[in-house]
Amino acid sequence: MLKINDLHCKVEAQDGAEKFILNGISLEVPAGEVHAIMGPNGSGKSTLSYAVTGRDGYEITEGGIEFNGEEIGEMAPEERAARGLYLSFQYPVEIPGVPTMIFLKEALNAQRAARGEAEISAPEFMKLAREKAKQLSISMDMLKRPVNVGFSGGEKKRLEILQALILEPKFLILDETDSGLDIDALKVVASGVNALRSPERGMLVITHYQRLLDYIKPDVVHILAAGRIVKSGGPELAHELEAEGYDKYIGEAA
Amino acid sequence: MGVIKPVAAETALIEALDDATGWLAQLREATRMQGLPTRRNEMWKWSDLRRAAAGISTAGSMTVTGATGEVLEPADGETVELGVSASAGASAAAQGLVVKSGRSVTLVERYGGEAGSLGNFHLDIKIEEGARLERVCIHDETETGVLVASADIDLAAHAHLTQIALAFGGKLVRNETHVGHAGEHSEAHLHGVYLLDEGRHFDYTSSVHHTGPGGITRQLVKGAVAAHARGVFQGKFKVDRAAQLTDAKMTHRALMLDDRAEIDAKPELEIYADNVQCAHGNAIGTLDETALFYMRQRGIPLARARALLIESYLAEPLDFVSDEGMRDDLRARLQQRLRAIS
Repeated sequence: MLKINDLHCKVEAQDGAEKFILNGISLEVPAGEVHAIMGPNGSGKSTLSYAVTGRDGYEITEGGIEFNGEEIGEMAPEERAARGLYLSFQYPVEIPGVPTMIFLKEALNAQRAARGEAEISAPEFMKLAREKAKQLSISMDMLKRPVNVGFSGGEKKRLEILQALILEPKFLILDETDSGLDIDALKVVASGVNALRSPERGMLVITHYQRLLDYIKPDVVHILAAGRIVKSGGPELAHELEAEGYDKYIGEAA
Repeated sequence: MGVIKPVAAETALIEALDDATGWLAQLREATRMQGLPTRRNEMWKWSDLRRAAAGISTAGSMTVTGATGEVLEPADGETVELGVSASAGASAAAQGLVVKSGRSVTLVERYGGEAGSLGNFHLDIKIEEGARLERVCIHDETETGVLVASADIDLAAHAHLTQIALAFGGKLVRNETHVGHAGEHSEAHLHGVYLLDEGRHFDYTSSVHHTGPGGITRQLVKGAVAAHARGVFQGKFKVDRAAQLTDAKMTHRALMLDDRAEIDAKPELEIYADNVQCAHGNAIGTLDETALFYMRQRGIPLARARALLIESYLAEPLDFVSDEGMRDDLRARLQQRLRAIS
């Protein structure tokens, strides 16, 4: 489903200097599987999520990204989104002045239009939003407020998952979804994510800590260090990391 | 001081005002003596009118619908609509308006100018004690014309002025307002929104002169400027020694939509009283790249994401329009212009 081939990526910093952050990542996540990416700070986890979703400034210098057999490495972020790629942000962005409901309806209809599907009507959309919001204990009042403005950390992460439930992407990348969450919020978010698990959908769960993986059970765990995958294994690898830390992998990569 | 040698546009304006009286006669004589203002004039340093008027050499005409030739004295609750349009060539018109004591009036001005026009419309407004005026200035049809909409507003005690301008600019468009503020529980609210496509120029210039104690002034002007367009904000609060306890706040915020946009701002406070609260803020920024990426990641195309972000940035001053229908109309004009430019 998602196939990353020998991906090299450089990032242009604010001062114009270029920095290579991904140094040849290869990874394949078939439909129906959940893969976890674990790694220390600065290992390239967030860069990987931005490179796959097409953020400006993240330039692919070698290798490529295939999604459902199509090379997407040169596509605009909105084109990748319309094909079903979804990124749950580590730090969801506040957009003052744009009510969440309007934002969500714009996004859904833009994706539908890009796929040649008919627009969803306002009443249909309301019904859909109400039903999905309920699953995540999000009030309709919250959805009238501007996107993420004044939301707590937990509310922001719940809203990320609500958007996924409404947009129904084919593939989810969850970037540090557990950061800033207390245990109750984590359970709500994880149950939302688990509701999205299906044989047709793949997921990449990026996390620093093993904790999230107790709630979202991965099929495969990859360890990322210095922009490369240094080890892959089953769920037990996450526990091993939790016990032993990242030190030996940092050494290996350097 | 010697009389300047007039350029063609100045000769044309003087000719157009040949038999004018009152304010228009003053404009004629000022033009005869000093010419059109240029960037060497401090008040016009970013909006060189003589330069913008180059190529204009004939007298034109200014049509003002809703004007009667007399000073207007609208009834309580009345909405006055003035449609000002300048034909090609140089022209000017003036209108007086008095809001009688205790009345509440709305004034809507719609400005247009043909290509090759140089127009000046001047309003002389008196807001009497306890009266209220809401003034909406819409500059959305000046295209490649040059237009100055000037107003002198006299605000009595316990009076209330709200002004909201929505402007898409022109070859050069200037909305210039001077308020004489008596204080004594009177309030002036001078807001504005400008959105300038390539090649447009808009200038929001205002001054508020607090002469009596306890006056309130609020100003919020927001803009967004595309490549090769120029936005100008000049705001001045002058507070006399007698105007103790004046409470005045000025904010100008604008977005550069491109590296080649230009925004010039001069917020100014001139304060002679010692017990006042006066503040000004000015911030020029760019669209939030992270927010753009977030929206695009959700599937919203770049142009639409930009339009949504710009609209949300600009919309706030329009919220001060009290009539819901008018507010929706202005918002719709803004959205339409955003669709056209992004």
